[in-house]
Amino acid sequence: MIAQIGLTVLLLWVIAYAWAEYRRAPLIGTVAVLVAAAGLYFVWLPAHASWLAAFVGIGRGVDLILYVWLVISLTMFLDLHLKLRSQTEVITALAREIAIANSLSERSPGVE
Amino acid sequence: MLAPMRGEREASIWVVVPAYNEASVIAPVITQLIKLNYAVIIVDDGSTDRTGQVAALAGARVVTHPFNLGQGAALQTGIKLALQQGADYIITFDGDGQHQAADIARLVEALPLHDADFALGSRFLGASVGIPSSRRMLLKAAVWFTRMTTGLKVTDTHNGLRAMTRRGAGQIALRQNRMAHASEILEQIGRCGLRYVEVPVTVEYSAYSMAKGQRLADSLLILFDLSAQRLHR
Repeated sequence: MIAQIGLTVLLLWVIAYAWAEYRRAPLIGTVAVLVAAAGLYFVWLPAHASWLAAFVGIGRGVDLILYVWLVISLTMFLDLHLKLRSQTEVITALAREIAIANSLSERSPGVE
Repeated sequence: MLAPMRGEREASIWVVVPAYNEASVIAPVITQLIKLNYAVIIVDDGSTDRTGQVAALAGARVVTHPFNLGQGAALQTGIKLALQQGADYIITFDGDGQHQAADIARLVEALPLHDADFALGSRFLGASVGIPSSRRMLLKAAVWFTRMTTGLKVTDTHNGLRAMTRRGAGQIALRQNRMAHASEILEQIGRCGLRYVEVPVTVEYSAYSMAKGQRLADSLLILFDLSAQRLHR
């Protein structure tokens, strides 16, 4: 029961995070919400996880939950990568404005 | 320059050259462009050598990134500055000496002739002097990928020599800082429904340009960059 509650808190946090990220990266947000919701379902109904795991040839239900967690982690990594890209775009725009402004001021020495 | 009709002003043609550590080769590139009366913008992309100083001494207008951002970012900076300066036509031109300044006139002439916004240089319609077979195969694979993903029937995708009208330049906004910008331009041309024409050009490979050119690993990075961009807004 303690593990179930702990995992539930973590997965609810993932869902909240994914929901917040949806506007910036809709595909990532959707995947994370769906996978985390599936994880919640299996945490509270492990028998269903065992049945599905046997059905798709994974073995044990707990392995399936681990795989779900792995997918969530990779999705988060991808999301972090996209956030870094967004930051890079902002930095690029700033560097561009500085470069152009410097170029123009060098051409117009009388203009501050 | 395009010869003006009676009563018309001469079209303003700006050549944008991204340059990163090209101090040893940039001066002759600028000289051949200036001889043909083109306005030249060198975007010094945070070079650690004397690229900026050499370019300024050769007569180019130099805009300097405070640090290295990548060729795509450099092109966008140059295009933005050229638009601010009132350019009618903007040319992108590599700084490693593999392009011929004489090809620019044909690219610019093709724009009004075909009512196009972009004239894309094609080495496979023209000539690629000294191209290794491995590079040829890599470029052909890139052409196939671009045709599949953009629907544009182009014959060359990663050729840095291209011309665009003021209208065309204003429609594109490069977000790919590194080498994926070449595919991004084509993708934006396709998405915005801009008209384009391909023009035969000559690309001369040298040991220098080969050493600075793209490799298979870069191609994989380009694919990753293009895929990642589609995942966020």
